[in-house]
Amino acid sequence: MIHTNRNRIRLGILALGIVLGFISPGLAQQSTQQDVQQLRSYNLGREVFLLGTVIKFTTASDTPPMGAHVILQTSSGQIDVHLGNAKVLQAGHLELSPGDSVRIVGETLVLGDTTYFAARIVHKGTQAVAVRNTKGFLTTPASVLTPAQKEALRGVR
Amino acid sequence: MKRLFLTLAVAGALWTVACSGNGIVNPPPPVGKYTKASLNGQYAFVTNGESFTGGLSATPLARTGSFTADGVGNITTGVEDVNAAGTVSPALQITGGSYTVNADGRGTLTLQLGQNSIDFGITLTSTSDGLMIDETSNSSQSSTGSGNFIKQTPGSFQVSGIAGPYVFDFSGLDGNQTLPCPCPESFIGEFTANNGAVSAGFFDDNDNGNFNGASFAGTIAQDPLQAATLSSFGRGVALVAGQNYVFYIVDSTRVRFISTNGGMLSGDAVAQSNIPTSVGSINSSFVFIVAGSSINGGITRVGRFTANGATVTNVLEDTNDGGHFIKTDSGTNASITLDAANPGRGTFTFTDPNFLNAPGKYVFYLSSATQGVIQEQTTNNSGAVDVADGTIAAQSGSPFSSSNITGTYALNWSGLSLQNGGSFNVQDEEDLLSQVNVTSLNLKGAADIFQFQSGVPVFDLVTSGSISIAGDGTSSTGASSRNTMSVTLTKSNSTTVNFVVYFVNPQLAFFTNNQNMNRIVAGVLKTQQ
Repeated sequence: MIHTNRNRIRLGILALGIVLGFISPGLAQQSTQQDVQQLRSYNLGREVFLLGTVIKFTTASDTPPMGAHVILQTSSGQIDVHLGNAKVLQAGHLELSPGDSVRIVGETLVLGDTTYFAARIVHKGTQAVAVRNTKGFLTTPASVLTPAQKEALRGVR
Repeated sequence: MKRLFLTLAVAGALWTVACSGNGIVNPPPPVGKYTKASLNGQYAFVTNGESFTGGLSATPLARTGSFTADGVGNITTGVEDVNAAGTVSPALQITGGSYTVNADGRGTLTLQLGQNSIDFGITLTSTSDGLMIDETSNSSQSSTGSGNFIKQTPGSFQVSGIAGPYVFDFSGLDGNQTLPCPCPESFIGEFTANNGAVSAGFFDDNDNGNFNGASFAGTIAQDPLQAATLSSFGRGVALVAGQNYVFYIVDSTRVRFISTNGGMLSGDAVAQSNIPTSVGSINSSFVFIVAGSSINGGITRVGRFTANGATVTNVLEDTNDGGHFIKTDSGTNASITLDAANPGRGTFTFTDPNFLNAPGKYVFYLSSATQGVIQEQTTNNSGAVDVADGTIAAQSGSPFSSSNITGTYALNWSGLSLQNGGSFNVQDEEDLLSQVNVTSLNLKGAADIFQFQSGVPVFDLVTSGSISIAGDGTSSTGASSRNTMSVTLTKSNSTTVNFVVYFVNPQLAFFTNNQNMNRIVAGVLKTQQ
């Protein structure tokens, strides 16, 4: 996904809002239930990006949603980001280690009584891997198969 | 939670490597009425799961086919169609194979495809059908998945053998080849077949959160490239709403489909008969189960409601959404409708107190007064909350108790769990197949499990546990009506998985795990006959 500079600025502001939302219970409490309900589905119009440094990467976290999580140190604090299926990152040859600088496109979603930041695209340097599609559903390793790899699947019985 | 996951992950590794070590617990010798002769004839089979091949990551895999068992342990012939995330391998010839059946109905099935073979664990639910999981783990392929097999009636192996109205549920992946798809899709509906013509079709499609419903037509025909497979195996080709499929006829009441042009959709079409023609004639309780994808990961929902005409009460639902559990008690403003233009099609809606601004909505197609398929269509202002579908069935035989929940059952669950892949922990497919004897609501039996990251299934786990019966969901306090089940699996270590269970009748129950956020599985408990 390519953002224009203008979009980047706008998204940067929104990202700050997201960050503040994570670190300010007061702001979170201002959300009406109806607002929260909208966070049950993914909306490209709400997307922001986070810039940060990897503090911890976990391929299988014990914090819902199930899957890979990364804790990012941003300018506004630490944020736990859900990255979906770690095998997708592996298939995309994107490794995350403490100290890595990353840019993550995504948005806040709700799960039960809590919110979390759901990644859609993870950028590290020149690498980018989509861990969600534009509707927010998690991608699978099948999403990144090359035509040659797809052809090789004809050997499956 | 973490400890349980670690226990499970470690146990998986130990189960794999400790077959000859000390401390291994094995199930007692099987007892029961089944023999190799219990599997005799032609059976149409399906599995859905994943495969490893050619050094690629795990790839979604669906297969549908037919095998012939000779009653003495040999597979004599067969054919299967395979779809791996949209890549199709058509009409693979099953050149031989073998099988075993223990007295308890558990056994093994190996299908030989030339130089290659695929392996399954099976549990018979009768001499006409059974449950199976893919347990293939050899040098050329590892694959897993859950499915079943049903005895075919060769007399119906002709195009005209598919006749009358049918309802269907095809699910899997769409045909979108643009990254990052393929994406999840649920495609359910109904059609009428008559001598190869498909008409009066109507579908409800949820393709990656985009809903669409429309009428359609199509065709059913002999496969011009494999003509003999129709008379030999009940196999042919179909065009349904513009999508190509291969089908396998079980009999005139059931046909199994798998898509062949982009995407990976598979499922059954079931003959429709004696359906209610007005909402007023519906007077029953129903249990439903759906599974699929949400924005949080995998999702399962199991629930029930009572319909008295359009008035719906006693709505209960249990959700596992990405490892987060949600109990829905006493859904309000509940109702059902029937679609006058499309027989058997209707909707079920209710207000979930957990989500007041996003009412639960399902569309269903009844194949009879007591059976049907169901697709979730819950949305909020931003769109669909998931892509999920499954089964709806009328509830009967209550009160449920130790008196009627008794005897031998096949037990199967499938879904995702966090597993240790050797280098790191990851979520991956988990399939379990078991046979249990239920006495005084206690379970005892044996199981196979395939946690796919290990690459190797684990056989003959001692299975134990218990069922707690609280009611059928019609009590005034819905929350107190939940039935639960715990299943403990033991080999060199043991782990316990806890479920909420909804009984359709004493012979059939649907369940999903309701504790342990590191697992999203749903399954079926089905009596053996």
